[in-house]
Amino acid sequence: MFLTIIFLHLSKKNLSASIAYAIQSLVIMLFFLNSFFETNNLTILLVVFLMLIVKVVLAPLFFIRLLKKNALAFSVSTYLNTPLTILSIAILTFIAHYQKFSPLTNIVPANQDSLSLALSAMFLSLLLIINRKGALSQILGVLSLENSIVAFVIFAGLEQNTALQIGILFNIGIWILIATIFMSMILKHFGTLNVSSMNNLKD
Amino acid sequence: MEIILIITTLIITALLNILIKRRFVIEFFSIIASFVVLFESVVIALKVSISGVYSQFFFFSVDSLGAIVMLIIACVGFITTIYSVQYLRQETAKGIIGFTRVRQYFVLLNIFLAAMFLAVAANNPVFAWIAIETTTLSTAFLISFYNKPSAIEAAWKYLIINSIGLLLGFSGTLLYSTSVISLGENGFVSWQSLMANVAHLDPLIAKIAFIFVLIGYGTKVGLVPMHTWKPDAYSKAPNPIGALLSGALLPVAFIVILKFKNLTDAAIGPQFSQNLLIIFGILSIAVAALIMFNVRNYKRSLAYSSIENAGVMALGFGFGGLAIFAATLHLMYHSLVKGVMFFTSGNLLLKYNSSKIKNIKGALGVIPFTSVLFIAGFLIVTGVPPFGIFLTKMQILSVGIQINPIITIIALFFMTLIFIGFLKHIISMFFSRKPENIEVGEGSIWLIIPPLTLLVTIIILSFYIPPFLYRLINDVVSHY
Repeated sequence: MFLTIIFLHLSKKNLSASIAYAIQSLVIMLFFLNSFFETNNLTILLVVFLMLIVKVVLAPLFFIRLLKKNALAFSVSTYLNTPLTILSIAILTFIAHYQKFSPLTNIVPANQDSLSLALSAMFLSLLLIINRKGALSQILGVLSLENSIVAFVIFAGLEQNTALQIGILFNIGIWILIATIFMSMILKHFGTLNVSSMNNLKD
Repeated sequence: MEIILIITTLIITALLNILIKRRFVIEFFSIIASFVVLFESVVIALKVSISGVYSQFFFFSVDSLGAIVMLIIACVGFITTIYSVQYLRQETAKGIIGFTRVRQYFVLLNIFLAAMFLAVAANNPVFAWIAIETTTLSTAFLISFYNKPSAIEAAWKYLIINSIGLLLGFSGTLLYSTSVISLGENGFVSWQSLMANVAHLDPLIAKIAFIFVLIGYGTKVGLVPMHTWKPDAYSKAPNPIGALLSGALLPVAFIVILKFKNLTDAAIGPQFSQNLLIIFGILSIAVAALIMFNVRNYKRSLAYSSIENAGVMALGFGFGGLAIFAATLHLMYHSLVKGVMFFTSGNLLLKYNSSKIKNIKGALGVIPFTSVLFIAGFLIVTGVPPFGIFLTKMQILSVGIQINPIITIIALFFMTLIFIGFLKHIISMFFSRKPENIEVGEGSIWLIIPPLTLLVTIIILSFYIPPFLYRLINDVVSHY
């Protein structure tokens, strides 16, 4: 999961970024499936099915179809160049492993490394949203952030909380729907997914 | 039963509006629904003022602050619905929107209201989060309502910034629930069970969780530096929706922060959360004041005014003690006065077809009733005596001067600056020469009655607080 976020940062092609997101979601889904086998909690199984359908299959397929339809093979540029992006990734990963965050990563001491990685993934997803100029990359950043939080939930042993599961289900179902509608609207109005072309709000 | 009735009424109305093909019926149902909601909210507030808390099943629980915020949503929601009918009719007459848009508007408006009630009444922090996320999703379409590139841009910015904020809020929420999980309690976690288990919360986790929550829900409140979506969204959304974003959604998000503040205070003492609220509060006031001078769009100036007032509320709850009483009153006054200002700015927009300050000239001579209402709103919101906001600001500052004199003096300085900056725009818009080619006169009496009603309500509440409301506010002081 962590590697897919690194890949999302470095990827220049929208298609490969969409596939990377599908793989990332598949990994999260497998974590949940493992949790289901351990607990036999049926709501977790529901989360697994919904993740599989919406995040692993439908959302990436929709992105890929949109990209092909509008011939948007290459993703738009970043605010930071590649060396600076890599440096920022390294710094954020270091910060996530820093002693100050140990209360978070020690929630389940046995999973300390995994929790640190999930926390790094959260930071890197935020960087992805800020650094990329493309609407698709921003959506993938938000979805990656969500996946990272879900990974954190699992490693922290909180996935049994029914309300959290409902929250995750809600976000999976509704947010992706709304975000994809808006992406289509942006394409229709601006002819591009490059958000730097949105400059109507100066005043 | 009341809360179930409120939410089902709004959802059924939204669903009916999808099916109905006659505009009058959609408008009628929406007004009736918002009236029913107002009535039921008053009933809930009365019950809470007597018993201290209103609970329904396991899922709903409304305390004194919740009851006040529900009253605010219901009151602003009812008046907004009435105003929306005439406002959208005028826009239809001008050819700006058609029937499909009107239907879409009332569907989303009812969903938006239902989500806000759900957020306030939810007994579970994750359900409150889901409800607030629902407000983001419904309002994103309301901000992009006019389907122009600038509106899409504002809605996109709103969607992305608020989604990130709310995901951080979600992270904070799950960190709080670590205390309950450690006891082995699974399933639904209520606010009460979080409070009951707060002693098991690691102090450092409590601090990090509150920072996440404050940043997350603070984005929705519009506290600086998470405020950047606000001016864009307020300026592009239909005016009645601006009234709801500022008057209803802001208190809804604020109440969630305060609920988490209670948990944090119980875990590590009040100093940490109070300091953070003071920092975010003073930043919000300062940034809003500095930008207010150079604003060129009067709808954006209302957004900066909201940011300032969110800062004042944060300062009030940060200072604590008697300032909480004032901050709660401030929350009420601000919501009502923002209704007045957004509705009257809607009238200005309908008359001048522009939201740019430089294009509004001599409004006092062109639409005198609207102008007087807007100016009255300006005087109230900037804290001119003898209105309520003057008293609440003074009370917050008088508590602040004892606790943190430097911050208080800075706050007073920037509040004065906001008054001067806003006054500059008021003089330019209302007291200049009117253009020759503009028709004099108000659009409709129904564009005047809604803001007038709100204004009368604020003036009454400035001098007389009904006993039940007084009890609720006192209860807020003792619990927050």
